[in-house]
Amino acid sequence: MAKPKVAICWLGACGGCDEAVVDINEVFLRVADAVDLILWPVALDFKYDSVKDMKDGEIVLSVVNGNVRNSEQEEIAKLLREKSQLVLAFGACACLGGTSGLANLTTKEDIFNWVYRDAPTVVNPKGNYPQTSTYVNGKELTLPEFYDHVYALNDIISVDYYLPGCPPPPYSVMYALSAVLENKLPPKGSTLAPHRALCDTCKRNKSKPDRLAIKEIKRIHEVEAAPDICFLAQGIICLGPATRDGCGESCIDINIPCRGCFGPVEGVADSGAKFVSALASILDAQSEEDIARIVDQIIDPVGYLYRFSLPVSILRKRRG
Amino acid sequence: MSQYKPKVVCFSCKFGWGYLTDEDTLSSKIENWIPIICTGKIDATHMIDAFDEGADGILILGCPEGDCHYQDGNYEAKKRVYLLRRLLESIGIDKERIRIELSIDPEGRRIPQLVKEMSKELAKLGPSKRGAAAEKMPKEVIKARGGK
Repeated sequence: MAKPKVAICWLGACGGCDEAVVDINEVFLRVADAVDLILWPVALDFKYDSVKDMKDGEIVLSVVNGNVRNSEQEEIAKLLREKSQLVLAFGACACLGGTSGLANLTTKEDIFNWVYRDAPTVVNPKGNYPQTSTYVNGKELTLPEFYDHVYALNDIISVDYYLPGCPPPPYSVMYALSAVLENKLPPKGSTLAPHRALCDTCKRNKSKPDRLAIKEIKRIHEVEAAPDICFLAQGIICLGPATRDGCGESCIDINIPCRGCFGPVEGVADSGAKFVSALASILDAQSEEDIARIVDQIIDPVGYLYRFSLPVSILRKRRG
Repeated sequence: MSQYKPKVVCFSCKFGWGYLTDEDTLSSKIENWIPIICTGKIDATHMIDAFDEGADGILILGCPEGDCHYQDGNYEAKKRVYLLRRLLESIGIDKERIRIELSIDPEGRRIPQLVKEMSKELAKLGPSKRGAAAEKMPKEVIKARGGK
């Protein structure tokens, strides 16, 4: 029997998710034995044209990481959808839009002006901006069109499974791959990670006082955080209460609070709003002035609460 | 734009607002009115969901400070609203789209009035910018970031 065909592809990504696939180490050799890798731009030399020549549904699984922010990424996402039985959105960018989704707070014009004109390090005397089509010696050169919005993968194509994380940890990559290979998949649309919140499994949970009461909000670089005490108890914003478990607490282990790369817990659409409720209830402030004083210590609320999920947030999601 | 009528969703606590008047009579005067038991129950996700359903603004009417039937629900709502207003601001949506008032009105006569007042203010802001494209960066911001 022919081995199942698998594609791994990056769209608007940093490469960290591909690195996460490599991080499963020698297990990857077994995966490579069991499947026929037909596309993996970061590691192997295959051509998109050979994917175009395939029959619809010929690829068993496409593991797609990164968000969609230009026409090339959209084209490849649609191509892989057409040719694949299953599409797995891999990593925070594909699932939630990712860090670069914060670009949705500004316009394409502002981004281009900054990158090609205004930034102090830019030298661009001719004022050249990237064009989708340029003629050089009578020949046309083309570039993909840069969109004015960053999209999560399921804004562009239908997605069968989600594996969040920045990047997803090795054991969850193995779990996802073996679930597909052994055909032990949960219902379509599922996120391949636990349903509960990170706090439920956090080692620091026991150190939490009976009633959390934050009088001051501190940023992690301003203090020397205790290595085994709940961050919220120390007045440091940690998104654990509103973030899905499954990351293996790699940030918490190195004394960095949760930033929310696993997205909202099961059944919640907007993790930022959920965290607003969680944080507001533990602010220890009586008067209006006190509330204002504490809350105003959060320098960049949208950056904190939607660091990985702005493109899928209810207030910033593009409609229509 | 003269046709534009903002949609205000009003949550009010049954312990402090309109409990002496029949709910049906009052609701005929207030569109999108959600009387609830304690404003402390209103999660930030409910407020965001209201925007998702097309609300242009949200008005929360809670009991006076120190008078919550459940000890501190109104005060919890106040903190939540303050934090959410800050978040809206930083996301690029006018914070005046969420308001909270802690007071008492057993007859509930002020509810339609307050909704009307908020609606008038919102009409000046125009429809909610939920999901709209980002706005152009002001020159001062570019300068402040060290730009040319």
